[in-house]
Amino acid sequence: MRFHRIRAGCLALAAITFLATVPASAAVETPFFAEQVAAGKLPPIGERLPAEPRVVTFDDDGAQQGQPGGDMNMLMARAKDVRIMFAYFYARLMTYTTDLTLEPDILRSIDIEDNRVFTLHLRPGHRWSDGSPFTAEDFRYWWEDVILNKDVPPFGAPPEMLAGGEPPVFEVLDETTVRYTWNRPNPLFLPALAAARPLEIFGPAAYLKKFHVKYADPAELKDQVKAAGQKSWAHLHNRMDNAYDNDNPDLPTLQPWINTTAAPAERFVFVRNPFYHRVDPAGNQLPYIDRLLVQIADGKIIPAKAGAGEADLQARYLRFDNYTFLKQAAKRNGYKVDLWKTGNGAHLALFPNLNAADPVWRDLFRDVRFRRALSLGIDRDEINQAIYYGLAKPSNNTVLPRSPLFRPEYRDAWTRFDVREANRLLDEMGLNKRGGGDIRLMPDGRAMEIIVETAGESTEEVDVLELIADSWRKIGVKLFTKPSQLEVLRNRIYAGQTLMAIGKGVDNGIPTADMAPAEFVPMDQNQYQWPKWGQFYQTGGTAGEKPDLPAAVELMDLMGQWRTAPDTSARAEVWHRILGIHADQVFTIGLVNGTLQPVVVRSTLRNVPDEGIFNWDPGAHFGIYRPDTFWFAKPG
Amino acid sequence: MLGFLVRRIMVMIPTLLAISAITFVIIQLPPGDYLTTLMTELESRGEAIDESRLQFLREAYGLDRPMIEQYFVWVGGMLTGDYGFSFEYNRPVADVIGDRMLLTIVVSFATIVFIWVVSFPIGIYSATHQYSLGDYGLTFLGFLGLATPNFLLALVLLYFANVTFGTSIGGLMDPVYLDAPWSWGKVLSILEHLWIPVIVIGTSGTAGMIRRLRANLLDELHKQYVVTARAKGLSPGRVLWKYPLRMAINPFISDIGNLLPQIVSGAAVVSIVLSLPTTGPMLLDALRSQDMYLAGSFLMFLALLTVVGVFLSDLALAALDPRIRLEGGATR
Repeated sequence: MRFHRIRAGCLALAAITFLATVPASAAVETPFFAEQVAAGKLPPIGERLPAEPRVVTFDDDGAQQGQPGGDMNMLMARAKDVRIMFAYFYARLMTYTTDLTLEPDILRSIDIEDNRVFTLHLRPGHRWSDGSPFTAEDFRYWWEDVILNKDVPPFGAPPEMLAGGEPPVFEVLDETTVRYTWNRPNPLFLPALAAARPLEIFGPAAYLKKFHVKYADPAELKDQVKAAGQKSWAHLHNRMDNAYDNDNPDLPTLQPWINTTAAPAERFVFVRNPFYHRVDPAGNQLPYIDRLLVQIADGKIIPAKAGAGEADLQARYLRFDNYTFLKQAAKRNGYKVDLWKTGNGAHLALFPNLNAADPVWRDLFRDVRFRRALSLGIDRDEINQAIYYGLAKPSNNTVLPRSPLFRPEYRDAWTRFDVREANRLLDEMGLNKRGGGDIRLMPDGRAMEIIVETAGESTEEVDVLELIADSWRKIGVKLFTKPSQLEVLRNRIYAGQTLMAIGKGVDNGIPTADMAPAEFVPMDQNQYQWPKWGQFYQTGGTAGEKPDLPAAVELMDLMGQWRTAPDTSARAEVWHRILGIHADQVFTIGLVNGTLQPVVVRSTLRNVPDEGIFNWDPGAHFGIYRPDTFWFAKPG
Repeated sequence: MLGFLVRRIMVMIPTLLAISAITFVIIQLPPGDYLTTLMTELESRGEAIDESRLQFLREAYGLDRPMIEQYFVWVGGMLTGDYGFSFEYNRPVADVIGDRMLLTIVVSFATIVFIWVVSFPIGIYSATHQYSLGDYGLTFLGFLGLATPNFLLALVLLYFANVTFGTSIGGLMDPVYLDAPWSWGKVLSILEHLWIPVIVIGTSGTAGMIRRLRANLLDELHKQYVVTARAKGLSPGRVLWKYPLRMAINPFISDIGNLLPQIVSGAAVVSIVLSLPTTGPMLLDALRSQDMYLAGSFLMFLALLTVVGVFLSDLALAALDPRIRLEGGATR
């Protein structure tokens, strides 16, 4: 629910609240905890829920109310992977719904003025998983004693908390209300709170104060630092405060499940959180599933284990080429295999390095006609049929049809296979001299041989390049493939030694206008098409190169406009201009997108959508589909 | 004898020091360090980590110090029983390795027993029935085991065990027993999973064992004392057991030096394929993610076992075989 109230002047104030409520008295005791409650080890359900729990509704497609109980098995390759569970849990201050609107989740409500002043209202009576109260103090502690503390990471406000380079003013209004006020709009704030890896603005103060020099007993703290083998209290605090890493079983949490196992272990057991804040309409406290059992097995064996029916829900470490094998054993081992669409803007794209060290190549890559010719010289349909069984979609590296910002021309510009037009463009550039093997000559007389580097992690990339090499020969360009290793490749790209790289397209192919267009603007040196421009932005101009291509400068300006845009429609307008520039300029040469991710689901597991989108952010892989509402039907 | 012992032990110290230096350098050779690995891993999922936090972690792990200083910190720590800190697990190395040691020893020990139990009778039979059908047949089987790629055999057996017996794939026990206390069910579950790695690793080791035993026995069986014993009317069994076999065992004794480290790190490839909770896969991961202290301490531990193992096998040989002299070794 959303409603806007227009106040005097033109101050728009959006308040987002939940209307459905279940009084805590109507809540049903969870069977899993009945014994502990009877023994007096745990307060009854009515006292464990916040005064106004969040009531989840099942109006989404096909989801239904369930029953509590059961263990869910999952597989991960390394102990560190339990951090991914934090994304799956997806309890956040703000969460995305499946249609990508933001709504309060842990928060009871939020008031927003001009995208500058954010007033966060907590749920009275909300508790951490250890039973201690969750209040404004947890926000104050994190802001004053962690973020602003120069000794503990993040050593100052993270970028999402800066607007025009300024941090916010933080106030505690009362026990359940805090306010962040910026001088300028900060559109990044709410999406960051709802991210798969959320911006952390609160932490369990009562627990963490034991490790903070300002609050802890000095002698005790010294002993603890020593016992943990850490260098200082700050390192100890940093070791203990990683909610996202799920690596400290003692750290109180607000997530639906609590990790009870410390690494290293072969199996991590997550147990339901007795103080979780969501209930279903019948008054059952979520999550439905009592325990999650995460077994650690080598990544290469995970498809085989999933095929043997050892996972109730599994997508990570399953690749599309495992699909037939998984499907074959599905009936026998009691699971089904769904195919979800991935959320990358392009499953694979070519990145011509506009900052290449070789001046001749650099000038060629900076000529838009050259980039267009290369794009027209690729037979994307052939790639789709030969490598992806025709299940992907030929596309530029841009937003997916599921995004509200999608327009067909962004996907299709310069993607047709047109050798004649490509040759015409190259001739028009004056590259009409040909050498041996009918390969064109560069302006300085060298043969036009592009070396495309891959991280060498999958043969798929090499196969795709093989196909492109064939079709580029028709436009007089020779392609060589050079597999290397990711870190080596990146360092070569940063230094401009790489002419062209192949890799995944933009991570978030389903953005809304309110999400930052950062992936389309030179802001990061990991953008393989303009590493030095990205580095220039990241280092505040101390390293890298200042963007000097008019289109790139315009992109930077548009990013500034997006930040200061007053509302969503203005931001959408900026987005469209950015996407238009990308489609027209072919900065990256997208190949296909909409590739598929196999998802193994136990036959008795309910509420997992048959066709979801498998995206990291927004989406948190399974998180956006609320795994706390997944439940096991009784077999039979 | 005492002089020999002291000399041998004195030689071990520089050997281990040299190994530690080489190990450290080789682990450091690939570009980057653990933190760059961490960074790439995070970025592959679209997460970012900022430079100041990296610097903070660098300090915490001592990665900002010069290489030579890092080396001395590590070696100095090892002398006092502190094997450093595993970045990957965020715990002291000793805790990380300790967890896996027991199961590793179980697997390796079972494998070694399997190899001996299979290859001994076959080797003796092959030697005493040279060029018979049985000799050729059994030797052929042994070579077949040597020739099949281990990882392939492992995968085939896994699939087979899962489809016919419903054994869970990979690992050393059914997932339900993973954090359960020891019980009969757990032991049986381990046995149910153990036979696959044992057969896979074992079959590749039997061929060599069979051939060596056969060749040594053949040498001995044609010697004069055997002929004499036969002529004096000893039963063929006694003739075989009393002397020739004892002589033929020599190479097995000298193998102890290699066996000790194998017990700890044997068959890493198979363990990885089968996803066994043993030390092999852990070592590989540590090397790949540049988890310096974990990998380094591990390799040092193996080096120590090798050096000690060779020492022990020298002593055992000297005790068993009077023809072997120790004094010559010192002047060589």
